[in-house]
Amino acid sequence: MPDQSEMKIAVICSSNMNRSMEAHAFLSKKGFCVKSYGTGDKVKLPGPAADRPNVYEFGATYDEIYNDLLHKDKVLYTQNGLLHMLERNRRIKQRPERFQLTKEKFDVIISCEERVYDQVIECLEGKDNETNAPVHVINIDIQDNHEEATIGAFLICELIDLMSHSEDLDNDIDELLQDFESKNERSILHSVYFY
Amino acid sequence: ADEEEDGTENRVVSLLNEAMLGNDKVKSDNIRKVQEIAIHMSPNLLDNFLDEILAFQRDPCADVRKAIVGFIEEVSKHEPEVLPRLTSALMALLRDESVQVIKRAVQAASQVYKATLMWISKSKTVSETLEKTWQEVVQIRNFISDMVDHDNDGVRTQSVKFLEIVVLLQTYTDADSVRKANDFSLDDVPMALKVAKRRRLEDEAVATLEHIIKFHGSAHISSVNLMACMGTLTLIAKMRPQYMAKVIIAFETLHTNLPPTLSKSQVSSVRKHLKLQLLNLLKHPAAFEMLSNITTLLMDLGATQNEIAKNSPKPEEVRKRQK
Repeated sequence: MPDQSEMKIAVICSSNMNRSMEAHAFLSKKGFCVKSYGTGDKVKLPGPAADRPNVYEFGATYDEIYNDLLHKDKVLYTQNGLLHMLERNRRIKQRPERFQLTKEKFDVIISCEERVYDQVIECLEGKDNETNAPVHVINIDIQDNHEEATIGAFLICELIDLMSHSEDLDNDIDELLQDFESKNERSILHSVYFY
Repeated sequence: ADEEEDGTENRVVSLLNEAMLGNDKVKSDNIRKVQEIAIHMSPNLLDNFLDEILAFQRDPCADVRKAIVGFIEEVSKHEPEVLPRLTSALMALLRDESVQVIKRAVQAASQVYKATLMWISKSKTVSETLEKTWQEVVQIRNFISDMVDHDNDGVRTQSVKFLEIVVLLQTYTDADSVRKANDFSLDDVPMALKVAKRRRLEDEAVATLEHIIKFHGSAHISSVNLMACMGTLTLIAKMRPQYMAKVIIAFETLHTNLPPTLSKSQVSSVRKHLKLQLLNLLKHPAAFEMLSNITTLLMDLGATQNEIAKNSPKPEEVRKRQK
């Protein structure tokens, strides 16, 4: 594990829109070295009805998605906060990124729901481990709405803060996670993989 | 070419001089720069600077010593001829006072160990230096093997990963082995090699595997180390399927005797991890003989019929095996 100030963090949700981006914004404001991803096949956003989501390919920019929604129904997407969210996102980076496609290596990966955690692990399992550098994968369940994403980002930030203050994370992590769980009354999943 | 060598030599000299006078960051950065140059350098030229570079292993700053570990790791992969001069430095770094340096050194030791075995396997003649170097990495191996009982959890994790490489290097592949790029196994060690006899290497690998299984089954293992061990055992079963049964039995034992020290959510994480490992093994053709053991375990762990069916070997695969 490198110096904690250089700890490389990934926050991951399904579409790299709401939960991971909220946490990305929080963490980078605090000066952490953070990237964000989605593990879904496509980028999905709510549409005019539950069975009519807006679906985009990974690769589309936040800007393009913003303009598409603006064009489709400005009132609706202003009211439900999507345009506001996209505006925030495009200030952080250009486009949603798919985790399965990245070659980057991290020290800590935080996923926002169990299905995403499973996909992250499936992806890490498929990689050849050449350097034996450990990566801690941690899941914190966060519901996919704006309020929960904000609360979730606070929690992730608190956890990362704790981790960054540990002088020897590999040795402390078990205890650190247990304390975090009991303080916040949330159960988390954790495993370790190797690059 | 001589002029080019002179240029490289001058560049290395100035980087090293700057490092000696510079702060910790300059030292680490320059060591990394020299490392980049060194792997493209002729071994003869590298030989001239090695002592100066390796002297930084005694630097008071742990990050500088870690940079030296990185240097040893990279150079051993690219220039096996200098291995004889790297092993004692690596051994010293494995005894470092900083846990961070030790962890990094164990990580590098996997590469050095592999590079040395490959080097002696490819050498046409076995010189005294070569024999001595092999003895030294064997000492390193034995030293790390004991580190499974180290006080620090992260050091224990890294030593499990080291032992994983030892098992993979010193066992034979078979028709069902999952292959990886740069794979090296006992098949690649020449039969006539006297320094490291195949039979002996294999016996050592089996003992090492037992060592991992014992640690995996110990009552007070931490959740992180348990998961690291499970991953290691799964990988060994996939790449060296002759040990599939041993691994499945170890998982069965674990399932019935989870460490009592695990918290509730650690138990969930471990069970989930175990389920994933087993689903992973289920796909492997060599899991066929253990199919019912694996399925029973998976059902206990809450896997659905659908998940099991999706990960089971194809019917034609099974028929082929039954013949």
